[in-house]
Amino acid sequence: MPSIAGPVQSLINEFAKLPTIGPKTAARLVFYLLAQPRGEAASLAEAILALKDKVRSCSQCFSITEDDPCEICRDPRRDPRLLCVVAEPKDIFALERTGVYRGRYHVLGGLISPMEGIGPDQLRVRELIARVGQESPSEVVIATNPNAEGEATALYLSRLLQPLGVTVSRLAYGLPIGGELDYADEVTLAKAIEGRRILEK
Amino acid sequence: MIVRSVTLGSFRNYAALDFQPSPGLNLIVGRNAQGKSNLLEAIAMLGTGKSFRTSRESELVQHGQSLAFVNGVAELSHGSVTLSCRIVSAGGVTRKTYAVNGAPVRFASFLGSIKVVTFVPADLLLVTGPPSLRRAMLNATLAQERATYYADLARYAKHLAQKSAYLRTATSPDPRLLATYNALLAELAARLLLARARYVTQLTRAAAAIHRRWIPGGAPLSAVYHPSPALRDYAAGEAELRLQIGAALEEALPRELARRQCLVGPHRDDVELLLGELPLAQFGSQGQQRTAVLALKSAEYAVLRERTGEAPVLLLDDVLSELDAQRQEAFLGSVEGYEQAFVTATALPALEIGSAHYVVEGARLSRIR
Ligand SMILES: Nc1ncnc2c1ncn2[C@@H]1O[C@H](COP(=O)(O)OP(=O)(O)OP(=O)(O)O)[C@@H](O)[C@H]1O
Ligand SMILES: [Mg+2]
Ligand SMILES: [Zn+2]
Repeated sequence: MPSIAGPVQSLINEFAKLPTIGPKTAARLVFYLLAQPRGEAASLAEAILALKDKVRSCSQCFSITEDDPCEICRDPRRDPRLLCVVAEPKDIFALERTGVYRGRYHVLGGLISPMEGIGPDQLRVRELIARVGQESPSEVVIATNPNAEGEATALYLSRLLQPLGVTVSRLAYGLPIGGELDYADEVTLAKAIEGRRILEK
Repeated sequence: MIVRSVTLGSFRNYAALDFQPSPGLNLIVGRNAQGKSNLLEAIAMLGTGKSFRTSRESELVQHGQSLAFVNGVAELSHGSVTLSCRIVSAGGVTRKTYAVNGAPVRFASFLGSIKVVTFVPADLLLVTGPPSLRRAMLNATLAQERATYYADLARYAKHLAQKSAYLRTATSPDPRLLATYNALLAELAARLLLARARYVTQLTRAAAAIHRRWIPGGAPLSAVYHPSPALRDYAAGEAELRLQIGAALEEALPRELARRQCLVGPHRDDVELLLGELPLAQFGSQGQQRTAVLALKSAEYAVLRERTGEAPVLLLDDVLSELDAQRQEAFLGSVEGYEQAFVTATALPALEIGSAHYVVEGARLSRIR
């Protein structure tokens, strides 16, 4: 096999390090870029550098932002009585897309998982307690993933927060909207039965 | 239930196989290392979604390949079902995907689509072997019967692994995190304990009846559930059990911290087998132990059948040759109302059995009768 020009190979190697991208996809991306005008490549390179140079962590909620504090923390229309705890900044983007939640956020930076060396001290738990003390929200909504680590983190936090006199809630587990009951797996269905709610009169 | 077809692709030593089994007993004969166990393993996977031999599932994919599949069509009392399990193994990662009637489903929905009872030579150690064998016996039936049992078990294992890692690695463990794990574990343990207790009650009744038929007037066989923590009164219900388990976990915490290990919970459960008053493991003769195992396996079949209303597929890998002709006959005669069985052997058994006979030679199956 003929060897590929050095810069081509090195960019393929870089792309292939990215999640979900294998060597074939990496090569396709590189040959696509090779065919583009120089300006396209320059703006991609700049966007990547700006990501590292301009994006930092918000000093209040620890989400990612260009300006500190972030847009959400600065927004006076945001309800200060509600504080939503998430594992990662990407979870904020998912919740914001719904447009339903109007409170503020707190990013833990992960979930408790001693198997991966992550205990409460490796997450922004102390910062959360401090915020609840200062901002005294009336409710903390814990929005961790419905897996074992998310469940343990949620319960741990609620045990930590409840003595501070704040209401702690967690996102409901349940059925996908638009789905059909008999297609739901038993485990999801069992959780949905557990988490059922009384209909208003 | 009856498996009508099994199709394999790049599964173990089978590059491709299209097998239409018969109703009744399928006897599969072949020399060593020809693919008998591999075929039974594949059929079992259609029921349990997992290998009964290995937890490293990359082994299932034929050497040199990256995708294996097991497809099957089975007939149940309410109609036929098409099952498919694909195993993709590449770059050190193995993933399985499942489909029922062509629609992709999660493991929890695939599991138990058809019921199977497997009996392998390792089960002959059920009486004398380690407690993990007896816990596996409980789990095999309960997980096939209810997806929620399997989900509870998997979640229990996950939290337990996290708590163990925390006990092992934390320099000054946070008591609130340990209390969190204990609360989660107690909730799951209460459900597992109740399900196991009820199952053992049913199992011991069925096993005793079978045993009595074989050895009339002999000392009665019984199975006694020993949960961890050692609770006795299950009638109080789940909420009360959760409190009691929670208290036991709290009480065990100083010892757990000292040993840096999880010492209490269903991962420490056991089932003791008795003949009359005497524990079979210490006092039973080899023959008595073997008879007890057969009664238990036969009871396992009866209970799964009773609970699900379907006759499970019976899979006997290499066990007949471990039994004398009299026991072979007694066992097969005691498995009531099976509609289909797969039995492997390296030579034709002494017993005249089987509605269809096959020979496996180098991953090729041919019917000889
Ligand atoms: N992933 C794989 N790819 C290719 N061959 C495999 C794979 N896994 C196992 N084998 C081979 O399959 C062969 C048959 O195995 P199997 O366990 O089915 O034999 P068997 O007929 O049950 O023999 P025995 O009577 O000794 O139990 C073995 O030689 C084994 O090396
Ligand atoms: Mg074998
Ligand atoms: Zn912010």
